[in-house]
Amino acid sequence: MEIIIQQLLNAAQLGAVYALIALGYTMVYGILRMINFAHGDIFMVGAFIGFLLATTVNMPLVLMMPLTMLLTAFVGIAIERVAYRKLRDANRMSLVITALGVGIFLENFVRMVVGPQTRQIPAQLPDKILTFGSGLVVTEDKLLIILISLALMTILWLFTNKTLMGTAMRAVADNADVIPLMGINLNRVIAVTFAIGSALAAAGGIFYGQAYSIDPYMGIDLGWKAFIAAVIGGIGSIEGAVLGSFMLAGVEVFTVAYLSSNLKNGIAFGLLILLLLIWPSGIMGKPMIKKV
Amino acid sequence: MKLLEINQLAVSYGSIKALHGIDLELNKGEIVSLLGANGAGKSTTLRAISRMLPITSGDILYNGTSLIKCPAHDVVARGIAHVPEGRGIFPSLTVLENLKLATWTTQKSNLANLYSSVFDLFPRLAERKAQLAGTLSGGEQQMLAVGRAIMTDCQLVLLDEPSMGLSPRLCKEVFQALQEINKQGKTILLVEQNANMALKIAHRGYVLENGRIVLTGSAEELIRDPRVKEAYLGTHKHALGANTGN
Repeated sequence: MEIIIQQLLNAAQLGAVYALIALGYTMVYGILRMINFAHGDIFMVGAFIGFLLATTVNMPLVLMMPLTMLLTAFVGIAIERVAYRKLRDANRMSLVITALGVGIFLENFVRMVVGPQTRQIPAQLPDKILTFGSGLVVTEDKLLIILISLALMTILWLFTNKTLMGTAMRAVADNADVIPLMGINLNRVIAVTFAIGSALAAAGGIFYGQAYSIDPYMGIDLGWKAFIAAVIGGIGSIEGAVLGSFMLAGVEVFTVAYLSSNLKNGIAFGLLILLLLIWPSGIMGKPMIKKV
Repeated sequence: MKLLEINQLAVSYGSIKALHGIDLELNKGEIVSLLGANGAGKSTTLRAISRMLPITSGDILYNGTSLIKCPAHDVVARGIAHVPEGRGIFPSLTVLENLKLATWTTQKSNLANLYSSVFDLFPRLAERKAQLAGTLSGGEQQMLAVGRAIMTDCQLVLLDEPSMGLSPRLCKEVFQALQEINKQGKTILLVEQNANMALKIAHRGYVLENGRIVLTGSAEELIRDPRVKEAYLGTHKHALGANTGN
């Protein structure tokens, strides 16, 4: 029993990181109908900004995390401004290829600046070992990562559902052409979306770098996983991205624990195919109805 | 007093000229109808005024200042609301959220008044406040679209085919609401294919044909004009007047 709960917590920690990345995919898709394939690399850039702040100026986590999120938000805004805005009305394929190009640029830029080695963000979260009941052992940092992630997701949910800017973001997904007629600057709404998605990915990057390790190519694998989680949940849906992330992490963690670590990806991706056969637009996704 | 003045406005889509230098003016408090067949350039004129389309040449003056350099989202702040063709509501947002979004540039102290004037005009929207806009009927969606225009606290409303897809009864209801809004002091530029309905509430009108203004005058003059009668008012076999399909 304790082992199962421990595995569930492992899954929750990994799922939280997936979700923080997947939210950026789903939000950008929601407003631009575009898969931002550079998003996994924005997650990596966030991790490295956090790494540099923590190692060069020994910034404590309470400062380092918000500052990293802010700086990564500007990276996201800059990418949209420089690479995507001009292509907004272009063929979707041009946007996808540009996004892939931006991703490769980010990977190589970071590799040039900090080198290709694997690093670790110095652990700053308290990591006391807590024992519950008859032998359930949990480290504090795991609990904190899960809790802070859930808090960030709650803030995001409140923002999109309760504020005027959040309402505008959902409205862009509905009918972007009408947004200027409401007196709203569409470019600003899109910039805010990229900023939020990038900031959340940066938080995921810091958590990932504390729990595991970071390198310039970490965004490829993690980005794909988070993208898949967003698709399983229903791309465009915020709740779906969170649900899909925890599901994917659960399948991965339990496959490793009880079957084989070699089967991890095979089973996870097989499940994806199965789920999409049942729900072609994801569990919480809306079926695409093309207006004629 | 002139509220809107359009001088020699020309608009092109690529190499195709949609407007060949039209002149049009609106006085404060008027309802002016812009008539014409499909493709005459009516919607293009409205979209040019609200700066959704680039202008080739000419000028648009609103309250004496040019709108040429004004981005679309700033036009709303200056006091012009555009109710687009097909209504342009946000279907997955609630009725209230739709209205709220239109208050982006509105003075917050005015909000309570604006909400109550929308709900007085369209009590049905008040009943359906929490409903998703996509679940409203066509007539209710049109009311919501007009309600949003009111929420921007505008002086001038541009309306693109508000009768489209509505039953005659609902159509009448919407047009009565437009007259009421006009009485409350808003100027209206009304694009319509249903010339009969439009000229009944309009003070003046313009007729567009292939991107040129071919006729202008008071609503009474236009109703009596044989050319208008023949083309738009249904005394001819190929009348365009009835447009009640859904």
